[in-house]
Amino acid sequence: MWLWFAKLGSPKWFYELSSKWLPWLVGAMAILLSVGVIWGLLFLPPDYQQGYSSRILIVHVAVAGTSLAFFPLMAVAGTITLVWRMKLADMVAKNAAPLGAWFSFITLATGSIWGSVSWGTWWEWTDSRLVSMLFQFFLLLGVISLRSALEDSDKAAKACALLSIVGCINVVIIKYSVEWWNTLHQPSSPVSLSPDSPNGPEFWIATGIMILAVYLFLAVSLILATRNEILVRERQAQWVQDLVRQE
Amino acid sequence: MNPTPATSTSAAFLATLRRDFLIAYKRKHDVVNPFMFFVIVVSLFPVGISPDPVKLAEIAAGVIWIAVLLASMLSMDSLYRADFEDGSLEQLLLSPHPLYFMVLAKNISHWLVSGLPVVLISPILAYMLNLPAAAYFTLLLSLLIGTPILSLLGSIAVALTVGLGSRGLILAVITLPMSVPVLIFGTLAVQASVNTMSPAGYLALMLAMLAAAISLGPLASAAALRISVD
Amino acid sequence: MSAAAIESAHNVPNADSSDGEVLLDIRDLFCERDDRILFQHLNFKLRAGEVLQVHGSNGSGKTTLLRIICGLNDSYQGAIYWQGTEVVEHLEDFYSALLYIGHRVGVSKVLTPVENLRWSCSLQRQRDDAAIYSALATVDLRGFEESQCFTLSAGQQQRVSLARLLLSDARLWILDEPFATLDASGVEQLEGLLSKHANSGGAVLVTTHHQLRVPKLQRLSLG
Repeated sequence: MWLWFAKLGSPKWFYELSSKWLPWLVGAMAILLSVGVIWGLLFLPPDYQQGYSSRILIVHVAVAGTSLAFFPLMAVAGTITLVWRMKLADMVAKNAAPLGAWFSFITLATGSIWGSVSWGTWWEWTDSRLVSMLFQFFLLLGVISLRSALEDSDKAAKACALLSIVGCINVVIIKYSVEWWNTLHQPSSPVSLSPDSPNGPEFWIATGIMILAVYLFLAVSLILATRNEILVRERQAQWVQDLVRQE
Repeated sequence: MNPTPATSTSAAFLATLRRDFLIAYKRKHDVVNPFMFFVIVVSLFPVGISPDPVKLAEIAAGVIWIAVLLASMLSMDSLYRADFEDGSLEQLLLSPHPLYFMVLAKNISHWLVSGLPVVLISPILAYMLNLPAAAYFTLLLSLLIGTPILSLLGSIAVALTVGLGSRGLILAVITLPMSVPVLIFGTLAVQASVNTMSPAGYLALMLAMLAAAISLGPLASAAALRISVD
Repeated sequence: MSAAAIESAHNVPNADSSDGEVLLDIRDLFCERDDRILFQHLNFKLRAGEVLQVHGSNGSGKTTLLRIICGLNDSYQGAIYWQGTEVVEHLEDFYSALLYIGHRVGVSKVLTPVENLRWSCSLQRQRDDAAIYSALATVDLRGFEESQCFTLSAGQQQRVSLARLLLSDARLWILDEPFATLDASGVEQLEGLLSKHANSGGAVLVTTHHQLRVPKLQRLSLG
């Protein structure tokens, strides 16, 4: 009975619930994002060491922090898919992978833009965070290509779920081993070069706002994408047909 | 009808091991090709980078490890493919024995025939790349611990993709990033020996990874096989 | 949902009578693939001594049904009982009693028939070489014992898998299109095997388009 409930009940329930929540989430995101971007990027006083380039960090730190959430999110969704066979979890996971890849990519891009100013180079292997983000990006690409290679959607869901769980464990191991590798290859890496050094309360307030805004952006994108996915996959269901007729 | 006297799991384990050895013996090219690939890739580096012994000594550990990584990935492809195509994999999944041990047997025999030869030839290639002699033993040890981890990881990816027609590159995209920690600690161990420091710490960490891989890897592979055969 | 699918729900075999012990009990099975319902409310029982032939048009889900019962496919709802206990809870017991031959017969092409059978037997019940050779002789593969299977024809490879039926003492045989590549004598032989198995208290679940000539044949139609 529970399986029936999970299978049939959830997507509709999620669709209706998210319809109620979405305006609030979008509103909050819009406010926080505009405050963060306008204040953070245009009016924040420059850092005494890094100058104006510290403003890029506000975006970078927020996106980077959010990127780290993807593998745990996908692993949890994957566990739900494999154990309880809940279709909704897979719809979330399916859309989380490309979104996560984009977030990782933006993290790398903003990181290297910041690096080009602060370090004088676009890419720096001695920054363990960027390096492990690079490998996380690759792992996410692996999940995406596995999904696109498997034609049977049910099989793809389970295979990607398993890969996400394995990948999540792996990302943690990669993170620590890259850090280790780094401290050994660059024992004298000056601390001021790491991307969270700017100080001053304004910087941290702006970063906090930005982190909240980016998380909300993640939530909104994921919800919108999942809603699309629900409509596509449940197109045979009565409630979707009714919904279409109402429009 | 007598009640079924099922075989013991250890007998089934050994029989699966023996069967895979036999198949490897009859399909020698599956075993020989990754090995040749390894030797050829390593010998390309001096040609592509520099014949300078000092430079070569510097990159030797990394070159050998990366070549091992690629060779191991290529060899993985044959692990489940034939069994999937002829239906033997279904028989394996339907055996009354824990799939963990059956998958472990396949992984072990696969490593013994395709991983071990690469490990054993590596000191010769290390010599050709001018790796300091003090590091030979560490290189051998690190490969001995590291290549089974690569096999166990690769097995998961192969099991996930076994139903796909063409999957050479997707296998690389999935397995190579996952192998980064092994690569890091493998090369760090060798470098430590080159710098006359003790590699024991790195090797211990690799052993820990191996222990985790042996206990979790076959479980994940088994789950992946069940998904792929479905 | 197709009308035929509903019909199959009522098309429960062994309505006549049955004395045999219920081995396999399928309750309220539902399976959907790619937004298409293959079957729903599917109920049937398979008793000792019965041969149940599943038939239906191509794509009606015969293979899927067999694979679901074997546990190779888990995208279904409903319950499968083996001798009164749910299969998923006692998978080991079920697999000790199950012999499955699918479209892919499970015969490695690089190995010889003998090597193949040695391995299959080791998974379920150990048999000595003498038994294996005599089983191969029974399925007319005398002289091919030591040739690699890729030199054999499709029908001969199928016969290698049939030798497994002789060597196993599994109570439940699940066979997916076992007649497909067999010649006339092979067909006759397999029918004999099925009858013999049923008579000695086993049960068979088989898909085929072939007109089976075995006693106590039950039929189940899908889609």
